[in-house]
This record gives sequence, structure tokens and C-alpha cells, in this order.
Amino acid sequence: MGLRIAIDTGGTFTDVVAIDEADGSRYALKTPSTPADPSVGLLDGVRKAAEAASAEQDALACLLHGSTTATNAVLQHQFDGLGLIVTEGFRHVIEIARQSVPDGYGNSFFWVKPPRLVPLHLVREVKGRMTHRGEELEALDEQRLVEAVGALAERGVVCVAVCFLHAYANDAHERRAGALIARHYPDLFVSLSSVVLPEYREYERAMTTLIDVLVKPYCQTYLRSAASRIGAGEGGAPFLIMQSNGGVVRHATAGERPVTMLLSGPAAGVLGAVHMARLAGFEDVLTLDVGGTSTDISLVEGLKPQLTSQSLVEHYPVKTPMLDIATVGAGGGSLAWVDDYGALKVGPESAGADPGPICYGRGGTRPTVTDAALVLGRLPDRLIGGGLTLDAAAAREGFVRLGKRFDLSPEETAAGVFEIAAANQVHGIRQVTTSRGREPGRYVLAAFGGAGGMFAAEVADFLAIGRILSPPDPGNLSAFGLHVSDIKRDYVRTLVRQQAGADAGEIDGAWRELEEIGRAEVMAEGVTATRIELRRSADVRYVGEGHEVPVEIPPGVAGADAVAAMWSSFHRVHADAFGFDYEGRQDVEVVNLRVQVIGRVERPAAHELPGGDGPAAPVAERPVYWRDTGWVACPVYRREALSPGNRLDGPLIVEEYGSTVVVPAAWRIACDRYGNLVMEKVR
Amino acid sequence: MTKKDAKAMLGPIELEVIVGAVRSAELEIEAAVERTARSPMIRDQHDYRVALFDAKGRKLTGRSYSALVEPVFEYFGADDIHEGDVFFWNDPYNSAGGIGHVPDLCTTIPIFHEGRLIGFSQVFGHHDDVGGSVPGSLPVHATDMWSEGLVVPPIKLYERGVLNKAAYTIIGRNSRLADHLEGDVDAEIGAARLGSARVVAMAERYGADVLEAAFDAIVENCAETLRRELLPKIADGVYHWEDYIENDGVDPPRLHALRLTMTKTPEKITLDFTGTDPETKGPINWPIDYAEGRFVRKWMAPVLRSLADSPERAAEIDMNEGVLDVIDVVFPGKGTLVTPTFGRPTGMRFFILLRALGVFAACLSKATGGRMPADHETIRIWGLHGRAESGDFYLFREVLGGGGPGRPWADGSDVVHIVPNSRNLPAEFSETRYPIRIERLGLNRDSGGAGYRRGGLGYDKRIRVLEDSTLLSNADRAMLNTYGVNGGEPGAPYAISVTGPEGDERQVAGMADGIEAKAGSVVRIATTGGGGWGDALRREPATVCRDVESGLVSAAAARERYGVVVTREGADWRVDDAATLSLRAEMAARRGPLPLFDRGPYFEDRKAEGAIAWPDGWSDPDAGWLAQSEGAARDAAE
Repeated sequence: MGLRIAIDTGGTFTDVVAIDEADGSRYALKTPSTPADPSVGLLDGVRKAAEAASAEQDALACLLHGSTTATNAVLQHQFDGLGLIVTEGFRHVIEIARQSVPDGYGNSFFWVKPPRLVPLHLVREVKGRMTHRGEELEALDEQRLVEAVGALAERGVVCVAVCFLHAYANDAHERRAGALIARHYPDLFVSLSSVVLPEYREYERAMTTLIDVLVKPYCQTYLRSAASRIGAGEGGAPFLIMQSNGGVVRHATAGERPVTMLLSGPAAGVLGAVHMARLAGFEDVLTLDVGGTSTDISLVEGLKPQLTSQSLVEHYPVKTPMLDIATVGAGGGSLAWVDDYGALKVGPESAGADPGPICYGRGGTRPTVTDAALVLGRLPDRLIGGGLTLDAAAAREGFVRLGKRFDLSPEETAAGVFEIAAANQVHGIRQVTTSRGREPGRYVLAAFGGAGGMFAAEVADFLAIGRILSPPDPGNLSAFGLHVSDIKRDYVRTLVRQQAGADAGEIDGAWRELEEIGRAEVMAEGVTATRIELRRSADVRYVGEGHEVPVEIPPGVAGADAVAAMWSSFHRVHADAFGFDYEGRQDVEVVNLRVQVIGRVERPAAHELPGGDGPAAPVAERPVYWRDTGWVACPVYRREALSPGNRLDGPLIVEEYGSTVVVPAAWRIACDRYGNLVMEKVR
Repeated sequence: MTKKDAKAMLGPIELEVIVGAVRSAELEIEAAVERTARSPMIRDQHDYRVALFDAKGRKLTGRSYSALVEPVFEYFGADDIHEGDVFFWNDPYNSAGGIGHVPDLCTTIPIFHEGRLIGFSQVFGHHDDVGGSVPGSLPVHATDMWSEGLVVPPIKLYERGVLNKAAYTIIGRNSRLADHLEGDVDAEIGAARLGSARVVAMAERYGADVLEAAFDAIVENCAETLRRELLPKIADGVYHWEDYIENDGVDPPRLHALRLTMTKTPEKITLDFTGTDPETKGPINWPIDYAEGRFVRKWMAPVLRSLADSPERAAEIDMNEGVLDVIDVVFPGKGTLVTPTFGRPTGMRFFILLRALGVFAACLSKATGGRMPADHETIRIWGLHGRAESGDFYLFREVLGGGGPGRPWADGSDVVHIVPNSRNLPAEFSETRYPIRIERLGLNRDSGGAGYRRGGLGYDKRIRVLEDSTLLSNADRAMLNTYGVNGGEPGAPYAISVTGPEGDERQVAGMADGIEAKAGSVVRIATTGGGGWGDALRREPATVCRDVESGLVSAAAARERYGVVVTREGADWRVDDAATLSLRAEMAARRGPLPLFDRGPYFEDRKAEGAIAWPDGWSDPDAGWLAQSEGAARDAAE
């Protein structure tokens, strides 16, 4: 038995949650992130967790990790050394993209196309052509391929993406190209589109493949060095990496297809929220993860996080399955400012960790949302556990200055800044709810991250949401989420077939093939056969439509039944997503077949609080400002002093390590036996 | 509460939240349309517009143009607008100028809070088929409005929440794709209602009076932005310009002129279309002389955004009803392209709609020392139809963009489309669906007009037809070039050809239908390049060399158009500095002063033939207008 350590690396802090397998005891801590070499922060985290648990480092049973390495590699915009090999006739595929200009009508006059990941002189064409049915029309020109790669290598290219037309239907040319490159230029990093994303639509597949090969050197180097320093991985304890799809895989697997690591960080938080929602008895949840600079929002239905294959990283499409997470630039560090026309704005610029809000006293001079919370009495002037004393007077002075511009009192200004920041989050929530045909009012808002509890009620009021879930230790929920994640791998194959005349055997056979590959690969992750679950799904549409909807096949249904289930449930899924269906009137077409292979991981036992002895007692009382009622003396509770069964009416404040929950007058809170606070609007 | 009190209560917080809510609502309405509509034109080509208005019918949203609410007031009056009503029309001659052709069905719903009218929510989309003489309701050869489809004057499709079943049934029955049409209309109504709910929520939160005061502020802020950021960059004076549509689809091709006189004063811009050519038999007319031209004033205003300090800033500037405070319009009498008489066909009005932006931009170029973007042409449709092996009818129809304009701050973007988020069809999708093979999906080398900042490139797309089929093309700028500005050269025109299995190549006209393409033929489509901006001899030689290395500009064009001599050493291209210097000096000495506008060889030939004639009181709008000196051009660019 040993220590399971989960480490979520963020921009500023690295969060650590360790669980002792012997007795289930938990240790949560934070350590500074080390962006220059994130493995240093990772190692610190492991060491500190072991110290906290008084365990030897070799007691490490498993290391789980959410990493921002892949995302940072994209955001840093260092694309030198990237090359692309395409089919003859398609050299301009990423220049043309989808010809679309973002945003407003007529922006084509002034909009400037952003530079492409690979400049045209590093894109090379090679003869060789497949049809959409996977038949070879023209053989691969192997000599030209080797010459083309050689020419790229001469120009300093170290990462090569290969994307041939219809490679999803027949990968022979790409596999051959991969083998030739490996033989002639063994030092190059290579990604093949048929491996990264065997789906049709050449532009999106090429971009996803490019992103994969772009982050490969960063991710492989990082994962290898981290594994060797910690003694995890090969021969040691498993080193599992969170992927964008909400599952983990071994680090070596992640390094092979690192594009799947892009949402490694935010995905873990969603899983943690799902786990706590399950314990609290909720199924349909909106997650609100409020950090210092931004807020991540996602939709969970029936305890299942929603996936999307339409993600953009920056403006680059990445089509591997990812949790559907919307991000808005509104967090605790968001700056309040006045534009040239005298409008009061909040964010997206953030004070970050350095200099940080005015109240941190590290040289920040511009008021932030955190300063507003302090001025309003919603934050304590000393952050528990942080050892940081906040300068309330300086924060107030900042709002005196800002308020003068509008002839408003500092508290009125601070409350307004808070309201605007909440409204900005609300617009993001609408992107994943009403814009997807979902009414936010019927979901429970699960608010976490350092600042989630501060915003939740304000956000809920805008959306007519009546229930809020505040999980325990909300600042560490992402790291905790790593402990409750399964091993997951996704497999896809494009097979375009119309229902009329489709061969059920062919479709089922393609699914079975994916399942066999997946089962073998997940068993290689160290999962025993009995813990493996296979999930079939398909992307289906009406013939003539330009986009598909995902149709899930119920677990256990296979063979021709699975194909029949796909055709029959499509109409309902379509109606649910778009509000209409053409059942019995229009032919249906399958586009992609998918299999998700899940290796179930033992969940840590749910941590139950001991029964309480009577009502909770506040530890203090302080004046808190509300926009409708002004200053009101509010009781302040320590979260750890709340027991199951405690019910309290707002207005009140609950404080804990790294987080504060604000409960306005119209709300009531109840503590459940898992330490969740469930807030309900009572009037 | 008086209006003054409400203004007093409208603080910066309420205003910022309401501004954000209006913007977010616009996006949500768009998402709802895309999610629930059925026509591919709406769902995939994004050919629809949404808007929110205040109770007076003033447009509040700013990312996109929209139709108008005026027909509601005109046809029903203030006392006949009720909760639950859905107003509906597509009549180009009875929509206050807001709807230009019959496929655009427009849905408008009034928004009420506690019994008080507080605004309107509106969606219109380009529907697949509204009847008329051809599938798709865009007959190239139409000679009246009725042959283009069903015409609906402003009606109530719902009255106090009750559907007018008779009207709904008649509208559906007149479409070849009734399911699509009815589904689209339902989707548009649903989306408009969603927008309405957002406005009501704001009224509930802050009160209708505060909301109304915020709407006033939103409109005033737009006018203020124009006055403070954009108008001061335009020199006062009177400027005129004209541009042409090549073909009306009915008469033999000839140039049909749209003429504009722009008068700029410190406070206003007046746009006068007097002098525009007569209305045509074919469908290129655009009826906009209604409701004080409010539609066209709002349509034209966004062109001004190109004068913002940066393209990022331009994208932020919302264009709502506030633009009417600074833009006026004057129309000629009835019977011109922009004042057609009732019943003239209008289906292809998108050519003149784009030309209108181009003539305005050119007048602004005159008034800003050539600081405006050059020309680009972005909407054309081409397609193939026939019977597949299976016997099923197929229609492969694509809206392809063209090269964007060169402008002082950047080269033109390649293959752009003026409609936001409109997408092309992936080759792998097209080949799976239709009996075709895409042999080249590329940019058309040398199609971008040469310039200090080059025009963007158009497509060079080659499609092998695998079964006998029929080709259609619906494009302007197949003869005339996109114009270059401030010494920039014109971009290449549109071209489409069919090369038969035996290798015989036939050029096809821009406006054509029924062209035979036998199995094994290759169709080549070259779309327009963007016009260039500024003197090509001033373009950085290293940049020209990079364009050559990238295959965007040929080595020959580098030499002939840019005066840059490049040489190839192994795989690397290099600039021959000495040869470039002397070639550029020689070219500069040989040429005359550079014109402010360059319309290209086709136009120059017509002009030399005397085919360009100007009406009384009108003169050659290009004469005497020269590019700014190199220093001024550089300053404008920096």
C-alpha cells in the first residue's frame, strides 16, 4: 500500500491532493508552479505530499497529473521547425482553411488572416492518391517523399506532420511515409493524420495533426524527464496523465499522441465536480471553475460531462474529443477599468499573480474583482492558510478613485464591478447552455476554483438558477478530480454510409475492429480485462446536412442490434439537439464510428464527515455590502466547523482554506455528509 | 418616472451589463438559428441576419446589418402591435428597403414587459426555395419579381399568439421544399423569441425605464464613436465615384453603373446615388429608396470601420441605429438600379449591394489620401448538377470567396467571404457526396493585385467531373477586375472553364447555366484576387521574394510588377539587390504618375473604345486623382 498523489499544474500554483491507500487519509497542499521547467514543481509536489503524509518517497503508489505543457506549447507561438507534407494539389490547404472570416458582416475589408502554423515554403506536396473508399488511385511517390522531407530538414524542420487526402479511409500511404521518414530521418518528430485523427475533412485533420506534432517535443521531453526524476513510469509506480477527454492514460501513451493533453488542466476539475455532484445526489450540473484570470464553464447531463469535437485552441481547430468547456476572461484577478468613452469594464485583462490585486500589496495599483470582494466585506482581510494579510484600506482607496469617475461610492462601485464580472461569466454560460438548446435554470451550479464560491450566487441570480453546489476544498477540486478519473481512450474511423442500402455487417465489423485495437491498448495500460468497458457511438446526420450529431449505443448492445439502435435513436438525438427530426421522411447517413474504451479505476472511498453536535456557531461577524440593502452585519462561519445537517439562512459568509463562499440574504445553505454545501434560493 | 429620472438611474453598471446582454443575446439568437434552421444556406453558409431593436424600431445590435422594423409601423400602426404577434414579410417593394430579394423571409416579434412595448427581435434568412421559376428561387434570367418566388407583403403570421394557418399553409405550399421552409420559419420565430426573453430579463432586473435609457445610450455611443474616431479622418468635401455590374442576365452584357456622390462635412456624410444607370430587365435591381434610406445608410456605414486605428479596433466598433445621425442618403427619381419601379426582378441584388460598399470605399479613399482598402469581390455561386449513377438528382453548389483587399496595414487575406463564418466544402466531403474528384484546391498564383500591400489571392480549384453533368455559374467581376487603390494594381477577375476529356478547353461566362460537362472533364474555377494597395515598386524585396518562394507570386510577376529580381540557388530564392535597384529605377522612370484607382485592362479597353459614357453633370470620377506620394503612402501605412 502506498500514496496516490494527484498533481494539477496551474499557471501560478501547483495543487496537490494525496490519498493514503492504507487508511484513506487525504493531504491537500499548494506549491508554486515552475513554468520554466514544470517538472521541478511536480517534483516539489511529490516531495511535499510525501512529507505531509510522513511517507517515504518510494511509497508512491501512483502519480496522477494534469499538465499545461501542451497548451503552453501552443500559446507560446514558437512554431519554428514545423513542416507539413500533403497530397499533390493541396499545398494551400491550411492557407485556405475554411475561407471563413470571424465575427461581423463585412469584416473581410479589414480582418487580417493570422499567420499559419506552417509557412508555405515548408509545406510540400507528394504524389499519391486514395479515393474516399480507400482505393489507391495513384501510388505514393516514395522518392519524392524522401526528397521533400530532406528539403524540410535542411531548412531546420524538426517536426513533420503528414496529411494525405482520404488517409482516414486507407492509411497505407501515410504509414509508408512514416516508415520512410523514420528510416531516413530518425531524429525528426513525426505525426500521421491517420493516427492522430482518422476522420474526414482535410483541413481540420491537418491542423489537428500539426498541433499534435508541434507539442510532441515539449510533451515527450517533459514527461520523460518528470518520470525519470520521480522514478515513476517504467518499472516504477504508474504515472498517469489527464487528457482532454476526461480520462487518464500512462505517460508514454500520452506522449505518443500529445494533442490529447490540451485540456489536461480544466478537464480534471469537471471530473471532480461530477464526483461530488454524484455524492450530493445531483445529475445535471453546470460547472463554474473560477480562477485568477479566467472561468471555465461546462455542462454535465446525467453525470456525464458533455464532449465536443469542435474545439479551437487559439484560432486553431483541434478535433480530437474534448470535454466541452467554454472559457471566459473573468476571474478574481480581472481588472476594472474605464474605456475611452467612459464605460466601466471588467477584464479580460488580469492583474495575474504579479503584481496581483491592490490588496496583495505587491505593487498592484489597478482595482480587481478580488479587491472589490474585499471592499464589500465578502473576503476576509487575512486569507486562511495563505498567511497573506490583505490591505483593505488600499483596495478601498482604489475604488474611491474609480468611483469618483462616476460619482459613485466606493462600495457601490465595487458591487458594480462584481456584478459586471458575474454578467461576463453569465454570457459564457449561455454559450454552453441556451446556445446548445439547454435552459440553465434546470441545472445545479457547481462552483469551485479559488473564487467560485464568491461568484456563484450572483451568477445564479442572472440565470434563474435555484441551486448551487459548493464542494469541499473547492480550490483543490481539480487535483482531487484526478483521483476519480478512469483510463479512457477514444477511437474513431470515418465510414460514410447511407441507411438505405447500408451493410450492417460492415458497420458492426468496423466498430469491432476499433474495439479490439482499443481493448488491447487499454490492457497494455495495465487494466485487467474485467474492468474494461466499451462504448460505441457514431456521428450521424440526415443526408444533405453539413454537420453530425453523436449517437450513443447503449452498453452491451452489439452486432446488427447496435447498427439498428444507431439508426433508430438518431432521430431522437437530432430532435434533442436541434429541435426537429425527419423520422420516416429523410434518409440518414453515418459518418464516423467511434469507440471509447474505459478502464475503470478504483475510486477512493467517499470521505464522510462525522455527525455534528447541534447548530453551527459563527466565528465572527462583519459588515458585508449588498447592492440592494447596503451594509449588513453578517455572521462568518468556518467551513470545517459545519456538520452534516446544519442549515443556515443567508446573508452569511463561509470561509475555508483558499476559498470563500458568499451566501446572500435570499439563499439558504445545508451541509451534507460529504462536506458539500448545497445552497438553495428560498425567495 | 420621467425620462430624465431614468437617465439618472442608469449608472455605468447597468449600462455595461445591458450592453453585454444585448451583445450576448445577438450571439444566442444566431446560435439558435444555426441550431434549428434547416436550409443549408442558413445553417452552413450562414446566410441569415439577426437583430434587436428598441420600441421605436431603432437597431441596437451592432455586429451585422439587419432588415428594418418600419414595415410593422407602416402596415399596422402603434395600436395594432400586441404581445404574441409575429410579423412576417419578404416583399422587396414593401419592406422599407430592408429586404432585397424574395428568398429572404423576415420574421419580427414585438417585445413586451408588463404590457409595455419595449423592443423588437428580428431574424431573416436566405431560404432554399420560395417558389418561382427555378429551384433555389434565384433565376438568372428573371424579368419580373413574380418569377423569382412567392411575395409576402407585411402580415401577421401570428396574431396574439395564434397562428394564421391559412397564410402558413399558402407560404409552405409555394415552396418546392415546404418542409425546409416551414422548419426554417419556425426556427426563426423560436430564435427571435429567445432574443425577446433576454430583453425582458433585463427589464425585470433593472426596470423598463432604465432599459430604455440604456438603449438611448447604446445608440448615442455608436454615433459618438463615429464622430470621434472615424469622421475626423475624412477630409471635408464632395467626392464622386462609380462602379459597374457586367451583366443583368437578360440583355447582352454591358456595364451598368452605380454612381455615388459623397459629401463630407464636419458632422455628416451624405451619400447621393443620383446618376445611377436605369433599372434593368434582369434581376440586378435593388429597391432601397424607402424610409429615408435607413436600410442602405446602415448597410453602408460599416465601411467606415476600415478607418479605425487598427483592425482589432475596427472589429470592436458596433454599428447600430446611431449611424443614422452621421449618414444621410439622397436617391435619384424612380427607375434606376437603386430605385426600381415596382415588380422589377431583384434576385441577384448581391452584386450591386457589394458594389455599393466599393464605391463608398473609393470615395473615402479620395477623402483620406488613399488610406482605404482596395476592392474585393466575395460572393458568387457555382455548381454542378445531374443524375448520379444511382439515378438520383444531385446539386453541388458552392459559395466561394475571393482575395481580400490590400490595405495600408496588411496584404489582403486570401479567399475571404464577406458573410461571417461562411465555410467552403472540404474536398473529402465533396468527393464522398458527389461524383467529382478535387484535383487541386489551391490559391491562384498572381491573382492578387500587385502593390505595396498585395491583394489577397483567389481560388484555383480544379474539379474532375466523373459523370456527365451540367455546370452553372453566377458571378460578377468575370470581366472587370477588382480595383487597386493608391497606386496598387487590380486583382485578377473570375474565370471558369471546362476542359473536355480530349483536352479542349472552353471558357464559360460568369453568368451561365446549362453548360455541359462530360464525364472526365475538368472544371477550373479561378475566383477574383483582391486589388493591391500602394506602389508595388515600394514593396519590400524580401517580402516579394517570400511570396515567390511560397508560390503566391511568380518570378516573372516579381520582376514585371514589383521590379524585384529573384534568383534561385538550389532550393533557396534570393533577391538580387543590385539588379532590383536598377530595374526599379528604370521602371519608375518609365512610368507616369500612378493613379489613385486602377480598374484594370478590361475597363481601360472599354474606355478606349468609348463604351464608358457619363450622364449630364457627371464627369470621369478617376480623372485627376493620383496616388499619394511615396512618403505620404508610407505615412498612411504607418
